[in-house]
Amino acid sequence: MESNKKYWKGLEELNQTPAFVEGSTGEFAEPVPVENVLNEAGLSTKTPRRDFLKALGFGLGAVSLAACSRTPIHKAVPYVIKPEEVTPGIPNYYASSFNGQSVIVRTREGRPISLEANPNAIGLNQGTDSTASAAVLDLYDMSKLQNPQIGGKDVEWTRLDQEVIAALNKAQSAGKQISIVSNTINSPATLAAIATLSEKFPATQHIQVDPVSYSGIIEANRSAFGKAVVPSYRFQHAQVVVSVAADFLGTWLAGEEHTQDYIKNRDYKSLKGGKMSRHIQFESGLSMTGSNADVRIAIKPSEEGAVLVSLYNAITGSSLPGGTTNTKAKTAIVLAAKELVNARGAALVVSGANDTNIQLLTNAINTALGAYGAIIDLDNFSKQYQGSDGAFQQFLTAAKAGQVGVAFFLNSNPAYDYFNAEDVKAAIEKVDYTLSFADRADETASELNAIAPNCTFLESWGDASVTEGLFTVVQPTINPVFNTRQVEESLLVWAGVRKSAHDFVKEYWEANILPGTGKAWKDVLQEGFIYKGTATGSSYSANVDVSSVVTAINNDSKRIAGDVELRLYESPNIRDGRWANNAYLQELPDPVSKVTWDNYAAVNPADAEELGLKETGKVTVEANGYKVDLPVLLQPGQARGTVSVAIGYGRTKVGKAGDNVGVNAYPFASLVNGTVQFAAKATISKASGIYELAQTQTHHTIEGRNIVRETSFAKYLQDPNSESGRFADTHQTYDLWNKYEQPGHRWVMAIDLNACTGCGSCIVACSVENNVPVVGRDEVRRRREMHWLRIDRYYTLNSGDEKLTEENEIARAKGLDYEDVTVVHQPMLCQHCEHAPCETVCPVLATVHSSEGLNHMAYNRCFGTRYCANNCPYKVRRFNWFNYWNDSRFDNYLNNEFTQLVLNPDVTTRSRGVMEKCSMCIQRIQAGKLQAKVEKRKVKDGDIKMACQAACSANAIIFGDANDPESEVSKALRNERVYYVLEEINVQPNIGYMTKVRNTFEA
Amino acid sequence: MRNISSVLGRLVKSASISLMLLFAVTTTTQAQDAANGAALFKSNACQSCHSVGKKGVGPDLQGLADRREEEWIIKWIHNPQAMIDSGDEQAVALKAEYATMMAPYAHLSDDDIRDIIAYVQSEEQKLAEKAAAGGGAAGGGAASSDANMLMIVGLVALFVVGVVVIIALNRVTTTLEKVIVTNRAAISEAQAEYDQGGESGLVKFAKAFLKNKKLVFFVVLMVVGLLGVAGWKTMWNVGVHEGYKPVQPIKFSHQIHAGVNQIECQYCHGGAFKSKNASIPSANVCMNCHNTVTASEHYDGEVSPEIAKLYRAVDWDVDSRTYGTNTRPIEWVRIHNLPDFAYFNHSQHVVVAGVECETCHGPIQDMEEVYQYSPLTMKWCVDCHQETSVDTDNAYYEQLIAAHEKLKKGEKMTAAMIGGLECGKCHY
Repeated sequence: MESNKKYWKGLEELNQTPAFVEGSTGEFAEPVPVENVLNEAGLSTKTPRRDFLKALGFGLGAVSLAACSRTPIHKAVPYVIKPEEVTPGIPNYYASSFNGQSVIVRTREGRPISLEANPNAIGLNQGTDSTASAAVLDLYDMSKLQNPQIGGKDVEWTRLDQEVIAALNKAQSAGKQISIVSNTINSPATLAAIATLSEKFPATQHIQVDPVSYSGIIEANRSAFGKAVVPSYRFQHAQVVVSVAADFLGTWLAGEEHTQDYIKNRDYKSLKGGKMSRHIQFESGLSMTGSNADVRIAIKPSEEGAVLVSLYNAITGSSLPGGTTNTKAKTAIVLAAKELVNARGAALVVSGANDTNIQLLTNAINTALGAYGAIIDLDNFSKQYQGSDGAFQQFLTAAKAGQVGVAFFLNSNPAYDYFNAEDVKAAIEKVDYTLSFADRADETASELNAIAPNCTFLESWGDASVTEGLFTVVQPTINPVFNTRQVEESLLVWAGVRKSAHDFVKEYWEANILPGTGKAWKDVLQEGFIYKGTATGSSYSANVDVSSVVTAINNDSKRIAGDVELRLYESPNIRDGRWANNAYLQELPDPVSKVTWDNYAAVNPADAEELGLKETGKVTVEANGYKVDLPVLLQPGQARGTVSVAIGYGRTKVGKAGDNVGVNAYPFASLVNGTVQFAAKATISKASGIYELAQTQTHHTIEGRNIVRETSFAKYLQDPNSESGRFADTHQTYDLWNKYEQPGHRWVMAIDLNACTGCGSCIVACSVENNVPVVGRDEVRRRREMHWLRIDRYYTLNSGDEKLTEENEIARAKGLDYEDVTVVHQPMLCQHCEHAPCETVCPVLATVHSSEGLNHMAYNRCFGTRYCANNCPYKVRRFNWFNYWNDSRFDNYLNNEFTQLVLNPDVTTRSRGVMEKCSMCIQRIQAGKLQAKVEKRKVKDGDIKMACQAACSANAIIFGDANDPESEVSKALRNERVYYVLEEINVQPNIGYMTKVRNTFEA
Repeated sequence: MRNISSVLGRLVKSASISLMLLFAVTTTTQAQDAANGAALFKSNACQSCHSVGKKGVGPDLQGLADRREEEWIIKWIHNPQAMIDSGDEQAVALKAEYATMMAPYAHLSDDDIRDIIAYVQSEEQKLAEKAAAGGGAAGGGAASSDANMLMIVGLVALFVVGVVVIIALNRVTTTLEKVIVTNRAAISEAQAEYDQGGESGLVKFAKAFLKNKKLVFFVVLMVVGLLGVAGWKTMWNVGVHEGYKPVQPIKFSHQIHAGVNQIECQYCHGGAFKSKNASIPSANVCMNCHNTVTASEHYDGEVSPEIAKLYRAVDWDVDSRTYGTNTRPIEWVRIHNLPDFAYFNHSQHVVVAGVECETCHGPIQDMEEVYQYSPLTMKWCVDCHQETSVDTDNAYYEQLIAAHEKLKKGEKMTAAMIGGLECGKCHY
């Protein structure tokens, strides 16, 4: 069945630009110049015979020389005293936590190699976000400091301690402040360590400030409820969600946990029960959350307040001034308000602005909707972001006035991520003694007197309390690799307490957390967490003076309103810049724009045309007195008259991978009403120069074939088969090959397009599990990224879709409304076809089929003809152009023995000239089968989990044995929505997809 | 030079043994049988804790009969704990001094114990004789320094002889040269005569051979064929290291451990039953036995030099019986080198398939030094997978209905039939 929509991955595909058409015909960006070599000119050149003989002679000589070398002697060095729990070859698992999420760390022979969610945990327990999957690489980062430093020179800890204690005493006796500036710290043990220091030095002050601040919400809740907290949002209870510029599935608060909860109302299980939530998004730039919304309305940043005012009016029936004038938004608000009111008690409005007044209005709306209690939980509140912009302001003022004697910076880098870096530097200069706990000499640390490098979480004892009542433990899985010391220990030493971090944390837990739980410290080390909170929050009612709040909002909107408005957003991959040196995350394509290794100015294609800008153009953006050139990205879905820029890029002192990647956008921010604001009035103009972004969106294009199936919820309710367009339903198929029995296992996968949000966590998890190399920006531009799993993002235009079915018409259509696009994310990986086209063309049988339905790839057999990649209809095969892990030209991270310790020892590192692709984590399958055989039992469903599946919080990837009719995957594949991509070519893929269902207003 | 000293050492030893035998003859007049005592001492593994003249896990037995009553010894050996409980002063003192409690040996008769005491006494005598023959031992030392001297003297002599020979040979050449100069005409005549006669021999045969084209063709064909076969065989064996027997840092003998002492493979290579790696035992596993087993009986009471290497690795002090902190891992040379791209799991083969270690590793119990017994080629793997029957009692295989049906028909099910030959099983 033909879809009535046209799906396209990028404007170049939509417009069929000549470069795109040419590029899409070949599997590889640069074809091998076979013709040049074989044509007559090539053969009749002057000295082909001599060259041939030279090459032959050299080749022969080289081969004989190589053959003469003796086989190298390999040493086998066993432990002197083997730790009892270690069996070489078998992984050990430890419960720990990362950013407050309870995780399980897998170690092999004492080195951590991956993180997975703790399935028994409270909160986020189905998967991990991309940073958690990639975090293990930070342990093996060569850019970290190996010793404490004073004035940029390595010193001993004793020397540093003496100096710091002297400075602390001096500040104390001089009556000056001792300031600890940190990002949000929710670790009870770290806070206790700080308290210990302030006992010794009562002048100690702890200032928390987050680069991306949620001060607005905290202040609003302080004023409305008397509780200065960020609440926990429980999206599983929300049937109607309206988000105004909040990327709540991505970077806004606990995005990954929201994803897990939000999808519970939208995945195949929910649909089977005939239920699906509705999500309406108002935003300027197309965020990942916006791309998953049922209805998305593009608005300018200055309209955010107005939309909320209109929404408030529509819900409560009041008529406050300053409602939106945007016609599309108006219609949507009327419908949305009706939905919200009907779903009272199961309706939620969230707002992404860090503005107290806007958050107060949001509180008022949510009170009207009865969201406080089950959905917005103020009792078991979130402790992820407690930073206060105001407190940091006070610190700067005090420091500049010379009142601060000592300043410590912990996980804080204001010289980079504060909008006014000069102000920060001026303040630092006035402080007598400054020290950073950073693990590297970053932008701030390098300006200070000393650095006391902290250990990574994989080397530390510690804890976290990310939600009120939830305590997770951090236990080390490796000894500190370098001469680093964890911050708690440093603080204790300076407070005159000689105690190891382990003892300190353990004693703290035994005194403060464990009593009353009936659990011992050892239980916690095994289980990883303790939950003491309540099941749901109690109901609250916001006390808001709406009319004055609305007046303030209306006034503030005027500040931003302009012809062009700038909106800064947090990159979903490298976040606020903390992960800038993580090569896995730099190469992870942005969920929406599919750009790697850069930030850019995203503008609407129509605006770009007016400015005379094309792809690869550059643009000058100016706002708040800061002016910078950025590569331009023509972003469908971007609101007209807006430009979006990601923060977190443009770091200069982070390390090999992250230095000078992109441009720093923090200086665009400003301080308004005591909170840092990320929207501003701006001007943009065309700049000179060409810059090609490493964008993967149209790599491996499916060339317009109909591979996405999409339906609406209304249609689905009438007919669950709606739009699934299964070829086999209407056609007779024929087989060229003999059927064969698969009596053992048949490994298959089901992918729920309705659950996939496109976040890309699976891609990172796959890379970590399967030693997939990072290739760097230049190689990505050449379409040589190695990811075994990619997420294809397809756009469709909403306006007049009936006319736009034919490609030509799209190409001809003028004045398209690029604001109004919808998006489908489709994970694409090796489909493990039963009749795999790649297998039949391999001249050396390097890729063959297994009796368990897998498409095997024997790297040692492959000699790189690349026929298979050319014959793969799904374009999922990747060719190793280089030895990325051992080639100085690709020195992103892996070209040293230390970082190579991150590699998974169960998976071969592929060499140059070899084809690779998704193996369906065969090492995990084999391990699971072996475990069953050793225990003389069958493989149980759920024994074997793919790396991508384990990382997916949305449960969009389901893997299992199709020969077991009771397995989850068998049940999922019996779903009416299941279809197989390119089923009509009868390659019989083993991966089934479920149609995308959109809960639009059309019903 | 070492040889000489050891030969001298052995001479001294045999001399002392014969002396001892003499004494033994005199001591057999004793009622007790020291030979029986020696056998009992060994069979009850007393030597793992005790020795004569040295403190081990337990006390030094030298002077045993002098410091303790015979009755006391018998009671103690029968039940040490009871003695302590009864508050015997000596027993309590022993308990306090030694960390390890001695096990009761109630099955030994009083006479047996007397025999053991006799054996200990005979050992004491040997020790005393050794001490008395201290001059002899010193003589041994002198012999060894003599040996050094001998070596140097020998070298000097050799040098002198060499010089003499050179001078003599020089003289001979000068004389011969003189002869040639005086008889030049006669020599050239003889040379011409020889040349003529020479051609008729070898050259004639070669010419005749070259004329016979068929023969030449045949020979060339044979040579090419032989070279081809040799080349083919060599090429096939590139990278095959069957029989590879590198020199190991410690001369560890599987023949002693697995052969003579019958230690289970699993005791040291436990990983083979759990993991993909069979795992070389960590040194602390060796120390489970070697904290008492020093093989000193073969090395004049000194710790075997090979075991000493182990002690160095774990930093074990033999005299104080304590571990230090300066450990140095043993760097064994890997014998079985499977390429990186091939995955092999020991537990799959050992536990699931029940393959004996010897099947792949050969007669390990007879190997003084371990060598690679199997070729470890893919063909070798595949051949075995073609033949090996699968353990159908394993519940894991229940699902293989098709295979079951075949079994019912009396056919066998091989590893190959259930996907054992598929690439991805080993290469990923």
